[in-house]
Amino acid sequence: MPEADPDPLETRIADYLCHRIPGADDMQVSALARIHGGISQETFRFNAKWSEYGKPEVKDLILRRAPEAGVVSSEHGVEFAIYEALANSSVPVPAAHFLEADPAWLDRPFFIMDMVPGRPGMIYGTDDPFDGKSERVGRDFWRHLGTLAARDTAALRNSGLRSGDTSDRFWQAELDYWEATLDQDEDIVEPIVRGAIRWLRANPPPEPAHPAIVHGDYRVGNFLFLPDGSISAILDWEMCHIGDPLEDIAWALDPLWSMDRYFPLDEGLATWEQGSGTTIDREALDWWRLFTAVKTSALWTTSEKSFEEGHNREIVLALTVLRAGPFHRKVILDLMEQRGAMG
Amino acid sequence: MKLRTETVLEGIAEALRDRIAPNLDDGFAANDARIAQTLLAITRLARDDEVANKVEENRRLREIFLDAAPAIDDPTFAERLEAASRTRDPGLRIAELDAETGRLRNLLVELHAHVEQQEGEEARRIDQSIWRALRDIEAPRAPRA
Repeated sequence: MPEADPDPLETRIADYLCHRIPGADDMQVSALARIHGGISQETFRFNAKWSEYGKPEVKDLILRRAPEAGVVSSEHGVEFAIYEALANSSVPVPAAHFLEADPAWLDRPFFIMDMVPGRPGMIYGTDDPFDGKSERVGRDFWRHLGTLAARDTAALRNSGLRSGDTSDRFWQAELDYWEATLDQDEDIVEPIVRGAIRWLRANPPPEPAHPAIVHGDYRVGNFLFLPDGSISAILDWEMCHIGDPLEDIAWALDPLWSMDRYFPLDEGLATWEQGSGTTIDREALDWWRLFTAVKTSALWTTSEKSFEEGHNREIVLALTVLRAGPFHRKVILDLMEQRGAMG
Repeated sequence: MKLRTETVLEGIAEALRDRIAPNLDDGFAANDARIAQTLLAITRLARDDEVANKVEENRRLREIFLDAAPAIDDPTFAERLEAASRTRDPGLRIAELDAETGRLRNLLVELHAHVEQQEGEEARRIDQSIWRALRDIEAPRAPRA
């Protein structure tokens, strides 16, 4: 006898929402559609209508579900914890509603949050991803990052964030983490990346003025903006941790998605300094720029393994690996040449 | 005229781009079809270069070992480098070449870390020549599409 098909995802989401919302009745989930929301989580948008103690309610929501395997090996709850911690702060994030670890509901852990108005700026295929509003987008981009850097990390001490209980040597914790990722996932070693790691260890940066919440993937493509250019939400916090705020600046300036294509670099960094109350150590920032190329290389390595072993067959993953892997090895070579490595 | 694999892949990519993607109602699936078309274009071009690139990389790594061995202060390690410089690719299948590249690259990483710790001009020369070789090896690995 064939196995019965599971209920459609809409029905299962509706059952879950009824379970979580007190007094909810007559739950209807519609317009469910998979959307591209990063390659580390499966992202769906949907509309929910229900009656709550007799009062009609309607919401556009986002479901973020863990993939079977993917780019980022992190605790699924990290992103949810951040959204809760930053709720109603001056750093715009979606309101997060429910975090669910029990796979009985939707096969894998997931969380549900508000759908925020706005659209992401695509990094490929256009010279103007911000519809002529790059001045406002760029200013908001750096201002929000500066604000994040100034924020007290105490509220996140027990949230499970990496380095949440560390007070120094953040650079080493991050480098150890990503080198271990390479050790685990690399099939054939990349000597370029390993050479960069040795250089980074031999030339450590100074400690930051104070620990900061590091987004971990702060870049064009990971925020939404409105028609007037204001940023309505900063998304994709799965790689968030406590660390050196220069890490996020360096990440934002990676040449694959650099914000300085659309907004003058010096003005951006000055905006960040104003928001954070901290002066940027340019030499230390250079250390983090090389680190960024190492971290991206590790991410592409994990993606490669996931696709190769069939754990994640998101086709965009394969494209990213084929293009971004060589791209970031070239970035490392250029940065090492600037450091005199080639004589 | 013989139908080449590259041409078949090109035909599939064109079908995805021109006939399949525009007729998919689901936006996510249509986007996947377009990405698949790009992937086919990349792999079609990479396929032609793959064996040549791998053979050249292995040859270049052996050349580095031969050059570096006399300058290495550890005689056992120097002997391993010399031995590796005399090896040959076991075959021309991708899996055979990859296995050999893996072995040679592991030794290169070991050599590079070793010379970084050694004092003197000869060690610096080898260190820099390894970085230059890595740059040369990497250049043809970048996708052409």
